[in-house]
Amino acid sequence: MRTLTTDVLVIGGGATGAGALRDLALRGIRCALVEKGDLTHGTTGRYHGLLHSGGRYVVKDPQSAEECARENEILRKIMPHCIEETGGLFVVTPADDESYAERFVAACHRTGVWVEEIPVREALRREPLLNPRIRRAFAVRDGAADSFLATHANTDDARRYGARVLTYHRVIGLERVGDRMIGAVCEDLRSGETVRIHASFIINATGAWAGKIAAMAGLHIHVVPGKGTMIAMNHRIVNTVVNRCKMPADGDIIVPIHTVAVLGTTDIPVPDPDGYDMTPEEVQLILEEGEWLVPGVSRMRALRAWAGVRPLYREQDAGSDRDIPRTYKLLDHETRDGVAGMVSIVGGKWTTYRLMAEHTVDLVAQRLGVTTPCRTADLKIEPSHDGAATAPHSPARAHFAILASPFYQLGHRLAEVEADDSYGDLICECELVTRAHLEAAIQSDGTANLDDLRRDTRLGMGPCQGGFCTYRAAAIWHELRDGAAQANGASGVAPATALLRHFLQERWNGVTPTLWGDQLRQERLNELNYLETLAVDRLPETGADAIGRKRDIVVEEVV
Amino acid sequence: MRTTIVIGAGLSGLMGALALAEAGLHPLLLAKGQGATHWTAGTIDVWGADARSPYAALRAISETRPHHPYALIGVPAVEEAIARFRALTEMARYPYVGGLECNVLLPTAAGALRPAALLPVTMAAGDVRLGGKVLIAGFRELRDFYPPFIAANLAAQGIAARGTYLTVPSAFRRREYTTVIFARMFDDPAFRSDIGRQLRAQRGDATRIGLPAVLGLRDPLEAVAHLQNESGAQVFEIPTLPPSVPGMRLFALFQNAIEQAGGRLQIGSDVIRGEGQSHRLTSIWSEAAARQQEHRIERVLLATGGIAGGGIRTDHAGIVRETALDLPVRTPANRAGWFAPRFLDPQGHAIYTAGVVTDARLRPLGADGKVVYENVAVAGATLAGADTVRERSRSGVAIATGWAAGRMLAGLMS
Repeated sequence: MRTLTTDVLVIGGGATGAGALRDLALRGIRCALVEKGDLTHGTTGRYHGLLHSGGRYVVKDPQSAEECARENEILRKIMPHCIEETGGLFVVTPADDESYAERFVAACHRTGVWVEEIPVREALRREPLLNPRIRRAFAVRDGAADSFLATHANTDDARRYGARVLTYHRVIGLERVGDRMIGAVCEDLRSGETVRIHASFIINATGAWAGKIAAMAGLHIHVVPGKGTMIAMNHRIVNTVVNRCKMPADGDIIVPIHTVAVLGTTDIPVPDPDGYDMTPEEVQLILEEGEWLVPGVSRMRALRAWAGVRPLYREQDAGSDRDIPRTYKLLDHETRDGVAGMVSIVGGKWTTYRLMAEHTVDLVAQRLGVTTPCRTADLKIEPSHDGAATAPHSPARAHFAILASPFYQLGHRLAEVEADDSYGDLICECELVTRAHLEAAIQSDGTANLDDLRRDTRLGMGPCQGGFCTYRAAAIWHELRDGAAQANGASGVAPATALLRHFLQERWNGVTPTLWGDQLRQERLNELNYLETLAVDRLPETGADAIGRKRDIVVEEVV
Repeated sequence: MRTTIVIGAGLSGLMGALALAEAGLHPLLLAKGQGATHWTAGTIDVWGADARSPYAALRAISETRPHHPYALIGVPAVEEAIARFRALTEMARYPYVGGLECNVLLPTAAGALRPAALLPVTMAAGDVRLGGKVLIAGFRELRDFYPPFIAANLAAQGIAARGTYLTVPSAFRRREYTTVIFARMFDDPAFRSDIGRQLRAQRGDATRIGLPAVLGLRDPLEAVAHLQNESGAQVFEIPTLPPSVPGMRLFALFQNAIEQAGGRLQIGSDVIRGEGQSHRLTSIWSEAAARQQEHRIERVLLATGGIAGGGIRTDHAGIVRETALDLPVRTPANRAGWFAPRFLDPQGHAIYTAGVVTDARLRPLGADGKVVYENVAVAGATLAGADTVRERSRSGVAIATGWAAGRMLAGLMS
């Protein structure tokens, strides 16, 4: 048993938790964050990547719209390297009620959401694949955000101010003495060790999991995990975020992000944030609705589908999921439940994560008697050089430092590959991940499997979906990390073999809902690679895995 | 005007074209692009789903699974195809060894052991039964071959293996390396001499050395012999991810044999439709460079592959089509059952058994069980009834049905 003492413990390594950690650290408050998986492992890493202009909520949820509009401008200023200024369009398709457009414009004016009507011809010039039968088009300040990069940027900056980040630490109990929370007990999933964390205050920033965490303190929060399914297409079919101009509903948005475009989304309440499936009907529905925006989209090549769970908070009965406000809610358990030393922050959007963190930390600071004001709205987040902050020094690091970040956009990567003439070092050709990127990410602290590398580097996220790079990354991992494990007396197949199988399965979970046409053809080639040529199915099962991880971490998400 | 057409340049199309050419029918082989030879290991896998010998499995299948491609053509036809294939590779001085009596287990680039019935002699020293210590050697510059990983996994299965990296001699260094670039370098005796010396220095007490399957395109037997002389150990090739050098050798060997026998290959022609009447196909249309061309035909061998090859195609609504002639296709009953939850499920994924149903003469059948075209035969992965990747029978089914389809279309087999 290890023991750790801090002032504020943040539970949850998504956007909100990372934002709260940075805010605390900037105010000089001692803090630590625990996350049961990798950073962004939950909803943050599974959303479409929209930086809201607010337009989506102007009519239905004006408070959320106002928050989005303000935060949109702040995020562009404090972390421009995480945001692509794509701009956004709201278009009235032949299937949409034309009268909504007037309400939309009026509500934009009321809520301070910038909007400008542009001629349909101009919209079609910007986005040639857009439905030529649209009747009106409105430009807004939507953007695309890299939520992986942004979360890491927050935690890295927090670390510079002394914060600690513990990934693969699962909270197994909260410690309460009378009416006061005094800490948490975690399990380090890599070593199996129990870690007790003493803290004066706990911030529950676990989103859809907030109810589960609160229950450990004997508190009740009614969170309704709202499942949203998304589909990544194999290229940027649009370069602008495109929304249907109507009340938010299923399948009415396309977000261009990095090399792909994401069609979203659905909203289905699920009982458990850890157990939900995508159905073929959802995928079908999103494609059919997508036809109104981009005719022919259902015949284009879809790469992958996935679902995330929104952390919707239900105070009283609402009709359906979509009727629950998208604004956030800070629950002060002292005033609400008579239990001091803990707050829960639920609801909200990625776009408002900073505001949620500010609001939360304001309350926590006040309780701790700290008067330093919030600075996150003004202080720019420097691009992190991380894995580097904690990675052992290696030749790859020096090379790596040229990049602002390992999580950078493809255009930067291409420029770098061209400048270095490093085509021969590309391990993932689809996403331009070089051996140097990969090695730095493998060696960075907290990386536990190939799926973490995917979140860090975009490995395997392109059109071939890991057909070649899964094998390469596993073998390189073996060379860098298995040695130590095997020196410790581990026997059996190379530990990286388990990571290879795990990644193949993770990939499979994502690709099956969209397998037809060319993508199914690609998948069959991947079968030829992994079954016929490499025969990975014939390798013996791995025994206890020796990097100090327990096996469940590797097989956790296997269906 | 050539009136005997083979569609598809994978193993089944090549084997069929050879049979038709040898029958004096001057076939024209049309293919959209390179076939599966270029993507796969280059061994002939007849059966490897279980511990049975290929021969025992063939006999059992022909009794218990009447719709399996092997059962349709029968064991003697499979044996005939295997014999012809072996003779062909011997003539071409790139002989395949092994047979149907038992599988050989060969190391893969992941350090697993995969079964093969026939293998190019350049891979023969990989046979795990040979014993002794093994050195796995590769190049850091080659992204698809990792000796330490391979050796660790072989060692975990009781094979005394060690991995090492070799250095590309300075005179041969370049910006980018692929399997094909390495194969061309291994064609050069100066490159081989240098590599051979490095192998001798590093081999220690290893008696066998495994290298990536890139040991030359021109004369791989000569390359292996040269490396064995220099290193003092037996040398063998381990197949890599695509592009496959052994597969390219195989393609070149077939191309040569087909052309010698009076056939012709035209790669880059996509067959897009056919037209026929009263159960005979009369014309097909191919497309190249956006121009369509009609071919009046007497007989067609359809070997366009399955889902990987592009011969069978699905769409988002769950419709499954045969892409060249729009023949009827048998598909799994429900869309939701196309895929098993586990990627590596030993039963495979149902969609991959979709394909064209035929009679025993490999003529396509409609849903009514009647022959659609009497002058068309179907071979290889386009056939329904087997997931040949899971069975590890893909290349075996390809050469057996390709040969049988060609012989039957030529009227030489019934």
